[in-house]
Amino acid sequence: MRSLRREPVLLLALLAVVALVLTFIVYPQVQVVIAPGPSGYVDFLQGGTWIGPLRNSVEVTLLSTTTAVLLGFVYAYAMVYSHMPWKPFFRVIGILPLLSPPFVVAASYLLLFGPRGIVTYGVFGQSPIIFGLFGIWGVQTIAYFPFAYQLIADVLSRSDARMEQAARNLGAGPWRVFWTVTLPLSRPGLGAAILTTAIYVLEDFGNPQIIGGIFTVLPTQAYSLISGFGDFTSAAAVSTILLLLALGLYVAKIRLDGGRAFVTVSGRASSMPRPPVPLGLSAACFVACLALAALLVLVYGTLVVSAFTAVFPTNLTFTVRHFEFVATGTNGDALRNTLTFSVVAAAFSAVFALFAGWLVQRGTWPGRGALDFLLIMPAAIPGIFFGIGYLTAFNQAWLDWVNRGWLIIIAMIFWNIPVGYQAAVAGLRQVDRSLDEAATSLGASKLRGFRDVLVPMLGGSLRVGFVTTFVRAVTTLSVVIFLFTPATTVATIRIYQLVNDLNWGGATAFTVADIGMAIVALVIFAALARGRIALGAARA
Amino acid sequence: MTKRFGGVTAVDDVSFDVPKGAFATLLGPSGCGKTTTLRTIAGFYDPDAGDIQIGGRRVNELPAHRRGTAMVFQDYALFPHMTVRDNVAYGLRVAHTGAAERTRRVRETLAFVGLTGLEDRWPSQLSGGQQQRVAVARALVIEPQVLLLDEPLSNLDAKLREQLRVELRTLQRRLGMTFVYVTHDQGEALSLSDWIAVMNAGKVEQAGEPWEIYYHPRTAFLADFVGAVNLVPARVSELAETTVTVTFGTHRAQVRRPPDVTVTAGHDVLLCVRPESFSITPAAPADRNGIALEGTVARRAFLGDTMRYWVRVDDREWIVDQPDPGAASPLDGAVSLSVRPERVHVIAE
Repeated sequence: MRSLRREPVLLLALLAVVALVLTFIVYPQVQVVIAPGPSGYVDFLQGGTWIGPLRNSVEVTLLSTTTAVLLGFVYAYAMVYSHMPWKPFFRVIGILPLLSPPFVVAASYLLLFGPRGIVTYGVFGQSPIIFGLFGIWGVQTIAYFPFAYQLIADVLSRSDARMEQAARNLGAGPWRVFWTVTLPLSRPGLGAAILTTAIYVLEDFGNPQIIGGIFTVLPTQAYSLISGFGDFTSAAAVSTILLLLALGLYVAKIRLDGGRAFVTVSGRASSMPRPPVPLGLSAACFVACLALAALLVLVYGTLVVSAFTAVFPTNLTFTVRHFEFVATGTNGDALRNTLTFSVVAAAFSAVFALFAGWLVQRGTWPGRGALDFLLIMPAAIPGIFFGIGYLTAFNQAWLDWVNRGWLIIIAMIFWNIPVGYQAAVAGLRQVDRSLDEAATSLGASKLRGFRDVLVPMLGGSLRVGFVTTFVRAVTTLSVVIFLFTPATTVATIRIYQLVNDLNWGGATAFTVADIGMAIVALVIFAALARGRIALGAARA
Repeated sequence: MTKRFGGVTAVDDVSFDVPKGAFATLLGPSGCGKTTTLRTIAGFYDPDAGDIQIGGRRVNELPAHRRGTAMVFQDYALFPHMTVRDNVAYGLRVAHTGAAERTRRVRETLAFVGLTGLEDRWPSQLSGGQQQRVAVARALVIEPQVLLLDEPLSNLDAKLREQLRVELRTLQRRLGMTFVYVTHDQGEALSLSDWIAVMNAGKVEQAGEPWEIYYHPRTAFLADFVGAVNLVPARVSELAETTVTVTFGTHRAQVRRPPDVTVTAGHDVLLCVRPESFSITPAAPADRNGIALEGTVARRAFLGDTMRYWVRVDDREWIVDQPDPGAASPLDGAVSLSVRPERVHVIAE
């Protein structure tokens, strides 16, 4: 504290960070939680309309998380441990879903298995009712197992190969080593990966919204209460229940991994070779990965084929008509908005997160723990809740002079702070404090030392924050669904609307354009960063 | 000055005065508070009580970067993303020194520490000794009022350490700059310093010239920490103005009375004798002028420049160093020891 008093500029910077965090993270959330008021909560809870969606949410989260984690584990084990061929191919296939809005899986599922689906109707001549629990379960499993894979692969690749070599050296077989060494050592990490996947599934809005039908979960109920009935009080209460569930999962996750783990997908190879696994196991891994990759190729391939054909699947004539549709008018604006908003949000988020991480990790002032918590908390906030929070707090007449695009950007910045922040804290831990002190003892103020010495050394953390925020901003639907205006609509919103309009050609072409744009942008960033980019796959 | 961390008092009411232009060393075992003291001088810690003055000016309220106390770190803390030149120029750049003067001073300082020609290297391309020199140059170039050095030689191998010791000493002499040096290596402290403060458990046990600390330690801890020593319980039998007569075992000796320490007749004291103060010979009537002991060699160890003997006298082993051991064959069996009375130092218990 005394050091802050001696460096007023630092104190001002700290106060500014605290003010921003209070305004854009704390205030909107508090607004939602207190919106119903005590009597509102009593009425709402007595009404009982929340019981069904709550049960559904819990049920579907349990089911989808279980299957997504199982598939993700198989994929991760195969990638980390087996000696199967085609690993680079499987790695790319595993990353692609991360770059796409998760809810497009639901769209693809409708095209494949819907009442007029290419498989169900086209092959078997059936028009099954696929909406509801089983549809969501299947779709979320496919949409989120790549996330589970990234999280689990990271945990497994961190396990110490030397321990495994030592166990093998003492005479244990591969199976025994896995159960007695690898698994026990990575149990906290795996637990955290499972809980993180569960949060993804719990807060998933797009998939249940598109194929849920009358099967309502908490996020879709909150949405329909506002958009259908204008019942803001109940929506706030529902989202608060959702928030409590997500916070519960998140607190459990932090207890497991200390809230410090974050995943980077950088394609780095383990430095020490792992003990060999039997040939048969590698072969089985290969078959399993091939099947999973085929599933992903089918899901995303369907979207691509549909985007380039006249009327999928009845008229498969090649056309770029849908892309012309996507590039013009509001659609073109939406695509441009997505790019602008995401780049701006990613840049601000990464820089702000780095600065805040520095203040917390290197500071000695009281209240650091509280700021640390507030900067990590958005990771536990479901997107739909975050969106409602911004709607409540900032969609006010007296703010009409502000371009609504900025609201979306700010929401993206602060919703994604945790990834960049934790990357920054992790990066700062790698840099010995004597480097800061060296700068200080040579006459540089703390801020100057941060700029001259730490920032150049923390490029990796900045890039993780930037790329991850960018990708999450490009792919989010739930955060922006309450915040967009006709002039500030974005790609995910338009895709969602086109799916609702059953404009499949437009929706799929939009999806392909959105993913393509994200890939091109990432390739450009990678070129600018000389190939040194890493994607934080997790919500910190 | 006092500094606490939580409930632990790291530096406990320590007070000392470093003469301007001196090479001052804080010496002590790890955890004794010497580094904390140094870092508090640098401004990285705030003292819980007490004042820090540099050149007569109280600097407690000055932030670390305004104190004019450049620091050389144990791990050098070179900026890995800057070349040698940029590392050394950093402090001048921060101080907005003009480009021409900056270039000149960087060149001169690098020449001073013998690094000319390595300006464009990255820290990772340098050896440990070179990195250490860059760290010193980087701190020297800003001409600080005090240069603080935190165990700067501890990461180097023994040979290089000794070479750099000499260089540092020469450098300090030439610049006349005040150095405050922290180390746990008593040899380093003795060979480098004009002034040493030996710290233990957050307190300064004794401060003074190296000679004084080595031969006239005030406590048993000090005697033991600074070099090998024989510490022998004895009893004061008589007191004279400048001498004390002590008895230990069956022996009786008259030795120098320690100044500014109270000893009273009948009290227990410790006799402190350095191993090299003895002379050792095959059993024979020894030097009659000194204190003579008869014993047998229990063990010996060849240390290169000396032979160390453990000699059993009655029921106690004495450590005795014989210089230039190659001059005669190693001793064995019965030996005679003698030591001049003025080389025996009395520590009050």
